[in-house]
Amino acid sequence: MGKILEKRMTLTGSNAAAVGASLCRPDLIAAYPITPQSEVVERLADMVNDGKLNSNLVQVESEHSAMSVVQGATAGGGRTFTATSAQGLALMFEPYMRMSTLRLPMVMAIASREMTSPETIWCGHQDAITVRDAGWIQMYCENNQEILDMMIQAYRLAEDRDVLLPVNVCYDGFYLSHMVEGVNVPTQEQVDAFLPVPKIDHAVLDPENPFALDPMTPGSLLMKYRKSHLEAMRIALEKIDEVDSEFGKHFGRSYGGAIEEYRCEDAETVLVTMGAMSGTGKDAVDLAREKGIKAGLIRIRFFRPFPKKKIKDALKGKKAFAVVDRNVSFGWNCGAMFVETLAAVSDSAENYSCFPVIGGLGGADISLKHLSDCISRLEELKDESGRHATLWLED
Amino acid sequence: MSYINRLKNSKDLVTPGTSACQGCGGELILRRVIQLAGENTIVCIPPGCMAGAGAVGWSFDSGLKVPVHITLLTNTASFLSGLSQMYKRKGRDDVNLVAVAGDGATADCGFQSLSGAAERGEKMLYVCYDNEGYMNTGFQRSSTTSKGSRTSTTPLGSVISGKEQNPKYLPLIMAMHNVEYCATASPSHMNDMVKKIEKGLEASKRGFAYLHVFSPCPTGWAYPENQAIQIARKAVQSNAFPLWEMQEGKFTLNLENKNPLPISDFVKGIGKYKDLTSEDIEEFQNLVNSRYQFIKGLSEIS
Repeated sequence: MGKILEKRMTLTGSNAAAVGASLCRPDLIAAYPITPQSEVVERLADMVNDGKLNSNLVQVESEHSAMSVVQGATAGGGRTFTATSAQGLALMFEPYMRMSTLRLPMVMAIASREMTSPETIWCGHQDAITVRDAGWIQMYCENNQEILDMMIQAYRLAEDRDVLLPVNVCYDGFYLSHMVEGVNVPTQEQVDAFLPVPKIDHAVLDPENPFALDPMTPGSLLMKYRKSHLEAMRIALEKIDEVDSEFGKHFGRSYGGAIEEYRCEDAETVLVTMGAMSGTGKDAVDLAREKGIKAGLIRIRFFRPFPKKKIKDALKGKKAFAVVDRNVSFGWNCGAMFVETLAAVSDSAENYSCFPVIGGLGGADISLKHLSDCISRLEELKDESGRHATLWLED
Repeated sequence: MSYINRLKNSKDLVTPGTSACQGCGGELILRRVIQLAGENTIVCIPPGCMAGAGAVGWSFDSGLKVPVHITLLTNTASFLSGLSQMYKRKGRDDVNLVAVAGDGATADCGFQSLSGAAERGEKMLYVCYDNEGYMNTGFQRSSTTSKGSRTSTTPLGSVISGKEQNPKYLPLIMAMHNVEYCATASPSHMNDMVKKIEKGLEASKRGFAYLHVFSPCPTGWAYPENQAIQIARKAVQSNAFPLWEMQEGKFTLNLENKNPLPISDFVKGIGKYKDLTSEDIEEFQNLVNSRYQFIKGLSEIS
């Protein structure tokens, strides 16, 4: 039914983020433009100024204020939205971490970009990955349809009474933000039926109910807050799958929840990917399969909370895996996703042959050849258990 | 109604147990602002003396009888922008949205968000209690600390004695943001201060209102706590802290000093100025004279 009502449009990734956010009827949007996110703000400004979107749009002087303005509005009971990239995310770190620790639900799109230095404006997951432990839910999209759909799913997840956490919908800068794809755009009625009006009343500043929001808190009490935050993350892991399957019933599209498995059933070797590179990875798997190589792919969709059990189950019985990170974890000689994937299978790590892969930093391409080479290497090493050297995807 | 009756007839909305230093200017300012704003108010207080004194609450207890939130040192005006827009959106324009912030959270690392909110004309009253430094954390220098002042980061050393730079004159910078209302006030001139708080609250319904209040600090400045109001009075009488306001683009000098006190009288007895040389005092006097003339000039041409 969804597919009949939806409108097919050609949208860039950032436009898909803007359209997706607008369908969620945010009360307030505060944003500051930054490459490659700027189009999100521009399209939302078009909608507001043309009277097509009834949101307060606050054109702030920095990302620090963008996050602070939405924090104030959420503490006033509103549904809010912002978007950023790289240096902007770094600048807003202070109120960013406070948003999650105040348990204020909202959605922020991140058009993922490499962190300077060396000076760069191009794609990488380093920005969002670096703040993975700031208490937000983080998910990474593969294509523009998913960007739009995840805006809608993200609000439903964030505002769930058992979750109440802010969500980052991350998508690769330029590779998705600037790429035009056909996207099914649901109707407002469809979205309204899926996404109820928010009831944010656990931390609302109101003279009718005077209290101190966030008084000075001793450690013994702070520990309880952290514990409940971690518990909310655990619950979120279950809710992610529920929301995705509920979304599927409404819109006819679902994504597999926290991870997506591609041709994994009988696979011996597995590529673990995240974000836009996953499409290329699936093509590489298909090519390998044509040659009789039993390859598969796991796409990590949610990095926080980390779906460790799902990953462990998906890798069960496989011989080898390689984790392709578009980021680095300084001090580990690999990316963050490799470290965490290995942690997920830690009780059986010695059974696997595995290696970390680093590629696509600073906008460098992750090509079909790169990922096919990863699969070939996995094939060579699949019977030699243990961790093998980091593979850098260089030209 | 006289300002005394006005204060007498409004409730003190600070809870018992607030632990500001004796003779604290900031606490006096906080109490007056909130009692005039009344119960239909939300207050944001960033880290600083008033937060440290417990006005933002402790554990399960609130320090105010109105909703209060300790904002970040950097984001008071932007947090309040979002809250203010949300209240307007809900049609609850009657709710007063008030910031009470020190000079560090206002003139230093909070300045960018303050400037942004003022430029956008966000509807709020922002009150800065200027005690010329980071007094809550042990008297470190800020950009409003006056030249020659002893602070814990500008000690009176044998090579460098006190702060080496003149302060940033923030109220005029705020006035230049085309705000709805901008004024300076001093707790020594309570009638003037009460009027300005009320004007600021009224202006905050139309746009951004800013009050810059002189806040004497016995603990940080080193003088007897019973001298606080006297020192504030001398600051005004010497033109070290002139009282003026700007509304609808027009500047008014609220108190014209025919025979101002010499600056040497103002600095006398204040420990932070104890090592000022006669040259330093002369330079201070020149700065005060030229600033006063500048503001007087603004009030005459506008």
